[in-house]
Amino acid sequence: MIVATAIAVAILFGAGAYLLLKRDLIRVVVGVVLMSNAINLFIVSASLRRGRAPIYPLPPDARVADPLVQAMTLTAIVITFGVSALLLSMVYRVYTSHLSLDLDDLAAAEERAAAADDREAIAQAYAREAAERDRLEVG
Amino acid sequence: MLALPLAIVWFGALIVALLDGRKRWVATLAAALLAAALLATLWLSAAVVRDGPIGMVAGDWPVGVGIRLRADSLGVLFIVVSLAVLLAALVYEAAGGVQTRTFPALTLAMGAGLTGLFLTNDVFNFYVFFEIAMIAAYVLTGYGSRLRQLRSAVIFSVVNLVGSVVFLFAIVSLYHVTGSLDMDVMRLRLPVVEPNASLLVGTALFIAFGIKLGLFPFHPWLPPVYTGARPAVAAMLSGALANIGSYGLLRFGAGILPRDLELAAPALIVLGAASIIYGGMQAVGRNAPEEVLAYSAIGQVGYVMIALGIGGPIGFAAAILYTILNGINKTLLFLAVGARGWLLGIPFAIGAFSVAGVPPVGGFWSKAIIIQTTLAADSDGARIWLTALMVVGGALSFVYMFQVYQHEFWEPRDEPRRPGPVGRRAIVALLAIVVVAIGIVPEPLLSASARAAAVLTGGAP
Repeated sequence: MIVATAIAVAILFGAGAYLLLKRDLIRVVVGVVLMSNAINLFIVSASLRRGRAPIYPLPPDARVADPLVQAMTLTAIVITFGVSALLLSMVYRVYTSHLSLDLDDLAAAEERAAAADDREAIAQAYAREAAERDRLEVG
Repeated sequence: MLALPLAIVWFGALIVALLDGRKRWVATLAAALLAAALLATLWLSAAVVRDGPIGMVAGDWPVGVGIRLRADSLGVLFIVVSLAVLLAALVYEAAGGVQTRTFPALTLAMGAGLTGLFLTNDVFNFYVFFEIAMIAAYVLTGYGSRLRQLRSAVIFSVVNLVGSVVFLFAIVSLYHVTGSLDMDVMRLRLPVVEPNASLLVGTALFIAFGIKLGLFPFHPWLPPVYTGARPAVAAMLSGALANIGSYGLLRFGAGILPRDLELAAPALIVLGAASIIYGGMQAVGRNAPEEVLAYSAIGQVGYVMIALGIGGPIGFAAAILYTILNGINKTLLFLAVGARGWLLGIPFAIGAFSVAGVPPVGGFWSKAIIIQTTLAADSDGARIWLTALMVVGGALSFVYMFQVYQHEFWEPRDEPRRPGPVGRRAIVALLAIVVVAIGIVPEPLLSASARAAAVLTGGAP
């Protein structure tokens, strides 16, 4: 059982890491979700143990399962869920404003925007200079 | 009393989240709540200094079952600094008009995450608070909603989520090998744990906090995020959120896994040195002030790593003092670069002097205590090389800070820029006064960091 969960954790984590390195943002998000869930599985399997349900009063000299990991996993799942929702909404925001989910496209768009700002600044400087020259010539 | 600062920011965040943050009174309310939490923490730290650490078990559970909160000198010092930085950044942003309705609430949520994280004695609880602070930071990085901010928010959240995954792995492994989530119990049980297992945990923790700090091999996310985010947000990230990394390394490394920290000391020192050189060189080669500050942040983390690697009461005290002063410096500089108007050159120059470590400003003391630490290193070789590195690093930071100063404040502008709101400049001036005041009267902060280091080395509280 431990071996099976260990292999499952490894496969999930590896697939997540692979997707994380892709250029497509949706794949990146799926990669993060897979990695987080690999860790959730890891938490459960960190204390896999046969035993009675840990409900008070505990039966004398009987093994009980560890309730703490279940609680931790639940918390971690909730956090993973929240974070996935947040990431997806961010990616959606990127998509609605740029109609692209490719990281290269986004970097290029950002450079274009910066270059446009520069061009605008240069154009303004030229305009100012021309106005100044006109003023001097008129004077 | 112990939970009062946490309760103020926590419930404050919930209430403010329902209100429209763009309204002036809502931002003022959020700032007042943060200030109240800051005052409550100061009151708490006075009690900690007087009577020693204060502990409490959440929800009236018996000891050993419930989650323990505790306030000691290390925790309260970090809370005070983080809340002060958040307050400064919030007031700065509010002075210019908040753009989104969530900004004040998110600032409070980040404050709640940070306060809880510095107060908890339970590792899993630490993770939860850590995630609260991080999630608030992910959303805040996107504040401004232009493509640059969105892209830096995506980079920031993806990289740091990987860091969180590694951190969660580390704390679950800690639970697995020690059978407890309480930091004090772990500290007692870890000496009998198999060294291989504890070293694996230590490495995972180091990677997780290294990512958070932007230490040299884990740094590539940091420059695009710090340059893309708005000045107030960059100040929060570098002045408040980055404290998690240093605090985590101190609390987990020095407090829970001292044996493994000692074993890893050479690695910490080498990475720290690489970080100082790399950050300094890159910063010298950049022009945009935000970019220089981002690379400078990578370099400054290196000093903390070296102090941590040398260890002992002096080393830990130096790491704490350096983290705190660096946080204040970076807040001052990011806010000064973001503001516009006359008389901003003086606060910027004060911040630049502080980063370079020139007296009489605060940064001088952090450099002095770091050099004192390297002079206390074990071997002659380490002593000479590390001290030389400190001097070279200081010189590099002097060069890059004054390149920015020259570029931003000395060269005549083509057109006079419209001065920004007075409130912003007032906050920047206030931060500069704080940095100078620390430089002139360093005694309180020096003794506070020495006391905080004593928590880790097991001396007096």
